[in-house]
Amino acid sequence: MENRIDRALKGAGGIQLMTHVVAGYPSLEVNAELIRLMARCGVRLMEIQIPFTDPLADGPTIMRANQAALDVGITPGHCFELCSALSSELPDVGFMFMTYANIPFAMGMERFLHQAAASGASGVILPDLPWDETDGDYAGAARQHGLHPVMVISPDTVGPRLDAVLRRASGLLYTTLKVGITGAGSSIGQAGVDYVRNLKNKAGLPIAAGFGISRPEHVRMLSGLADVAVVGSHIINLLDREGMSGVEDFLLACGRQG
Amino acid sequence: MSRISDMLPRHFGPYGGRYVPEMLVPALEELEQGYLKYKNDPGFVAELADLYQNYCGRPTPLYFAENLTRELGGCKIYLKLEGLAHTGAHKINNALGQGLLAKRLGKTKVIAETGAGQHGLASATVAARFGMGCTIFMGEVDVRRQYPNVYAMKLLGAEVVPVTDGTRTLKDAVNATLKYWIQNLRDTHYILGSALGPFPYPVMVRDFQSVIGREVRAQILEREGRLPDHLVACVGGGSNSIGLFHPFLEERGIRFHGAEAGGRGLNPGDNAARFGSTPKVGIVQGYKSYFLQDDSGQLQNTHSVSAGLDYAGVGPELAWLYDQKMVEFAAITDVQALDAFRRLTRLEGIIPALESSHAVARAMELAPTLPRGEIMVVNISGRGDKDIFITAMELDRENWISFLESEVRHGK
Ligand SMILES: Cc1ncc(COP(=O)(O)O)c(C=O)c1O
Repeated sequence: MENRIDRALKGAGGIQLMTHVVAGYPSLEVNAELIRLMARCGVRLMEIQIPFTDPLADGPTIMRANQAALDVGITPGHCFELCSALSSELPDVGFMFMTYANIPFAMGMERFLHQAAASGASGVILPDLPWDETDGDYAGAARQHGLHPVMVISPDTVGPRLDAVLRRASGLLYTTLKVGITGAGSSIGQAGVDYVRNLKNKAGLPIAAGFGISRPEHVRMLSGLADVAVVGSHIINLLDREGMSGVEDFLLACGRQG
Repeated sequence: MSRISDMLPRHFGPYGGRYVPEMLVPALEELEQGYLKYKNDPGFVAELADLYQNYCGRPTPLYFAENLTRELGGCKIYLKLEGLAHTGAHKINNALGQGLLAKRLGKTKVIAETGAGQHGLASATVAARFGMGCTIFMGEVDVRRQYPNVYAMKLLGAEVVPVTDGTRTLKDAVNATLKYWIQNLRDTHYILGSALGPFPYPVMVRDFQSVIGREVRAQILEREGRLPDHLVACVGGGSNSIGLFHPFLEERGIRFHGAEAGGRGLNPGDNAARFGSTPKVGIVQGYKSYFLQDDSGQLQNTHSVSAGLDYAGVGPELAWLYDQKMVEFAAITDVQALDAFRRLTRLEGIIPALESSHAVARAMELAPTLPRGEIMVVNISGRGDKDIFITAMELDRENWISFLESEVRHGK
C-alpha cells in the first residue's frame, strides 16, 4: 500500500499545507471536527501531537495546548484512537505523529511505531531524538512499519550533519525557517527562505517548511521553493480566537496562494 | 570532529547523550569544542584559579564538627563549608568556570535557570563581574519561596523571569532557559547549573565542581593523614555531589552517600526521590537518566521544602553510579531536613541551606551506626540565609509573621 504522504505529494501542483493538532486540545471531539474541516479545505498532511509535559521545541501556544491536554488526562492511547478513527474516515489524509523522545522511549520504540502504524499514521516526527544517539536511529525501523521518519532540521543544519540526515530521511524532510521554537510569527526571514531553496536542490525529497507561518503571504513566499508549508501554532490561535470558521477562512485563503 | 569529542565522555554507561532538536546541535558542538580548547589552557586555568582564590574565597574550609561528632556518638564528621564560598553556595564554582568560558567564546550575554536561586545568584554575579548581560529563569513557585535571592539577582543587574508553565519549579525553568537559548544562540551562553542536560554540560559542570573534592582530598590528608571512609552530599541535579565524589571515585573502600528530597512522603508528587521505590529511565531535557515520571513518560510533579532539590531528573553520571551500586541514595523528608537544619545550627553555629540540611540529616542517620575510627565528610553545599522565609515560617511562625506585618506597615 502506498504511503499516504507520498500519495499526497505525488503530482501535487503547487505548495501543500500541513497542519498540526495537539491531541486533546481543546478536546478530542473538537480535534476530530477540526481534522474533518481541514480535510474539506484540501489539507492532506496533518500532524497529531501526542502531548508531553516538557515539549522542548514548542513555543507558548503549543506548550499551553500540551499542558491543557494533559490536564484533562490525555494519554498516548487516546491519540492513537483519534488517529485510527480519522485515518479510516479520511483515506486521502496522511497523518504523522509528532511527539518528544520520552513518549516512544517509555512505550518502547518498537511498540510505539507498531501502534502508530496500526492506527493508520504515515509518518512520525520526533524532534528531540537525534540520529546520532542509539535510541535516535529509528529511521529504518519506522520504514519497516510503513512510516516515514520525518526528520526536523534548521537553517543551521549544514555539512556532514545535513548529509547524515539526508541518508536517513524519507518521504518528507521538515526544515524550520528559523533557529527557534514553534510559534506564529509576523514575518519569514530571508535566510530561512534561502536555506529552503538550497535544501530543495540538494535533498532529492520533498521539503516541508515551518515555524512562524501565520499568513497566506507566508505560504505564497514558499510556493515554488518548498513542497509543503507547515502551519502549527497559528491554527491553534485561530481556533481559540475565531473558532472553526476562522480556521476555514485561513486555510481557504492559503489554498488560493498555492 | 568525532575524534576530538571522544576525549570528553558523552555518555555514562547508557545515560547522558545529547537528545536535543537538531538546531541546538551546532551551539552544543561549539561549546564542546570551546571547553576542550580551554579546559587545560594555562591562561584559562590560571585565571579561574585566581578567581576561585581571590574572588570566591577558595579553598573553603574543611571543618571538624566536634560537637556534632560527640552528639551522634559514631564516626568522626567533617563539614566541607561550600556555604562560605562567595554568593553562599557551591554554585559559584561552576558559574565562574562557564562564565569565563563564555567570555572566551565571545558571548556577550549569559542566561541560567535557577531553583533555590543560588545558581541564578552565582550566574548574575559572574555576569556583573565580567560585564555581560544576564537573564535568569526561575519557576514562579521558587520566586516566591526564595525571594532574598531574587532581590540579590536584580540588584546585580540581572533580569529575573518568573516561569509560569508546568510545575512552575526548576524543571520548567530549565525548559524556559533552553527555549530562550534556542532563539538567541549567537550571542548567548546558557550557564546550566547542575551536572545534567545535553552533552557537554554534565561533564563540564562536574569538572568545574570537582574543585570541591580535590580540596577535600588535600585537606583531609593534611588533617588525618588518610582519605575519608564516607562522603555525603545532597542530590538535586547532582552538581555538588558529583563535585565532591568525583575525585574519589577511583579509590577503594570509600562509601558515597546521596541524600535526595523525600518531601512529604512516598506518594508520587510528594517528593523528588528519583531513586525511590521504582526508579525509571527516561529521555528529557536533552539527556537520558532517571526521571520521576508516569507510565506514559510524562514527568511528575515534585515536592521538596528545598527548591534546589525539587527536580524530577538527576545527572547522568549519578544515574550510572547508581546502577553500579557505587553511590547509595536515601530519601530525607522535609521534616528530617528541618530538624537537621536546627540541630546543626545549634550544635556548630553553622546555618546550612535547606538543600544541604538533607545531607546533614543523612549524616545524622548514618554516623551513629559507624565506628568511631571512621571518617565522614559532609558537604554543606550552601548556607541558609536564602531560606529565611521558609525556615522562619516553619520554626518561628508567629514572630515572623508579626515582623513581616510590621515591615509592611512601616514600609507604606
Ligand atoms: C545550596 C544548594 N545545595 C544543593 C543544590 C542542589 O543542586 P546540585 O544537586 O546540583 O548540587 C542547590 C541547588 O539549587 C543549592 O542551592
